[in-house]
Amino acid sequence: MRSVVTIAKAVFFDSIRRRILLAVLVFAGIMVALIPSLPDYGVGVERAVFGEIALAVTFLASLVVTLGLAVTRVPSEVERRTVYAVLARPVARWQYLVGTWLGTFAMVGVLVAAFVAVDIAVGAAVYGALMWRLALGALGIWLEMGVLAAFGIAVSTVVSPVTAIVAEAAFLFIGHSKATLLGAEGALALKAFYPSLDAFNVVAPVTHGTGVPPLYLASMFVVFVGFVGMLLVLGAVLFGGRDL
Amino acid sequence: MSERASDDAAIRIEGARKVYRSLLGRQKEAVKDVSITVKRGTIHGLLGPNGAGKTTTLKMLLGLVRPTAGRFEILGDDAGSPEARRRIGFLPEQPYFPVHLTALQAMRFYGALAGVPEERLDSQAAELLERVGLADAVRAELSRFSRGMLQRLGIAQALLGSPEVVILDEPASGLDPVGQRDVRNLMLELRAAGTTVLLSSHQLSEVEAVCDRVTILHRGAVAAEDHIDRLLDVEGKTAVRARGIERLPEAVAAVADDVAFSGSVWAFSVPDGAVRTVVDAIDDAGGVVLAVQPKRESLEDYFARLLARAGEEVA
Repeated sequence: MRSVVTIAKAVFFDSIRRRILLAVLVFAGIMVALIPSLPDYGVGVERAVFGEIALAVTFLASLVVTLGLAVTRVPSEVERRTVYAVLARPVARWQYLVGTWLGTFAMVGVLVAAFVAVDIAVGAAVYGALMWRLALGALGIWLEMGVLAAFGIAVSTVVSPVTAIVAEAAFLFIGHSKATLLGAEGALALKAFYPSLDAFNVVAPVTHGTGVPPLYLASMFVVFVGFVGMLLVLGAVLFGGRDL
Repeated sequence: MSERASDDAAIRIEGARKVYRSLLGRQKEAVKDVSITVKRGTIHGLLGPNGAGKTTTLKMLLGLVRPTAGRFEILGDDAGSPEARRRIGFLPEQPYFPVHLTALQAMRFYGALAGVPEERLDSQAAELLERVGLADAVRAELSRFSRGMLQRLGIAQALLGSPEVVILDEPASGLDPVGQRDVRNLMLELRAAGTTVLLSSHQLSEVEAVCDRVTILHRGAVAAEDHIDRLLDVEGKTAVRARGIERLPEAVAAVADDVAFSGSVWAFSVPDGAVRTVVDAIDDAGGVVLAVQPKRESLEDYFARLLARAGEEVA
């Protein structure tokens, strides 16, 4: 466990030093601040529209950061051979992957928290209301980013970062295309097995409804753990069989 | 303790083989059949030209490359086991480190992975950095380190946790002559403390100076392995150095080989049986015998001869 935490801390602090993160954070903050000035705001639904767009910006900014961190970490460490001095120690390859994922996930968590803090602050400043439910939407985004990070790390153990990004984009598309690909009524038997990322999408109830029931939140965590666990096992198998 | 653990082998590699396969099915046999035994408390050199399989063999030993076949043990344990890994230190060839870290932070990171207790991380890191000559750079960022400083840091991190076995891949690479001497002394200190060192190097003078035993790899197989003295001593020949004579006496010239004259000193080799005659002849000619010792080939010459012979056999 100490190895995993040590690697996670190293990944976290290495990631936080990258200037690209600060750039994304500033850019996303400016975008959120400009949302109220969009011209086609519907009268009476300003807050809901603001919430939707703010979470969409948060999602996109988090996605960029997650992709950038997750798919480049392992290939660059292998290429620069920094991984040799790590894996020659009593550190199993799966521990290295889990530590890498944990550090990335923590980093994205800090970023998502910063985004949603900006969202809520702008909301409070413009509409005079504390839109704390956006935090639930951000939680869903963070968990989804955790799954995407696990996928990116797993795939990047055997392919180049560019290929991993393409695979990640495909995974994201398929993960959010349950209704599109299987239809609302058809292919019911497949639905149960379809690996949907829609479980983490709680934007509508957060911005238009009354929030997310605790039971749904709990089930969201179960899906998260299942996805991440499966992907990291896959990553460990792929990485375990690879020559460095 | 198992029977194997009780023997005096620190590293045991048996029948190591590695075949790389491309996606098109092409095969490349990087290591064909390598067996090496490194005794505890010795410095064992691993030599070979580029592509001989040295690094692949070391990587298989460390679990960085999956062997096609072979058995790898460290101190009686399977080399891949956490128990074995806890007892080894490794310096990769041309080591790289996360450049945003300071030397102390990097040492703390690798120390934690090596299992050094938290409360001893700082003291052990500082002690090792001082030992490799980086005491003044403890808080400097690695991005400012020269190639030689990174090499020194690599050596320091390999010694974290006081490993019983240290594997060094080209430790003198990038170091200036003083740094190379420091590394040699460090290896000798480690041996004196009972640590086993497996040294892979292209620097033959370094290997010759410190190694007890040498394994030479060529084209993925062991071309020679023996005690360094037995490899290099030329049987039946004695090396002589003398001065104070303008030319070699006739009795000496008749039996001398490899004659060289430099800075008023003659150096040559003679058959063991002729040593008494040669010494007397130099004495009679008014010269001074400076040294008489068993003739020893340089490792460089031995290495070149061995590879040439191996090349001829293949041809």
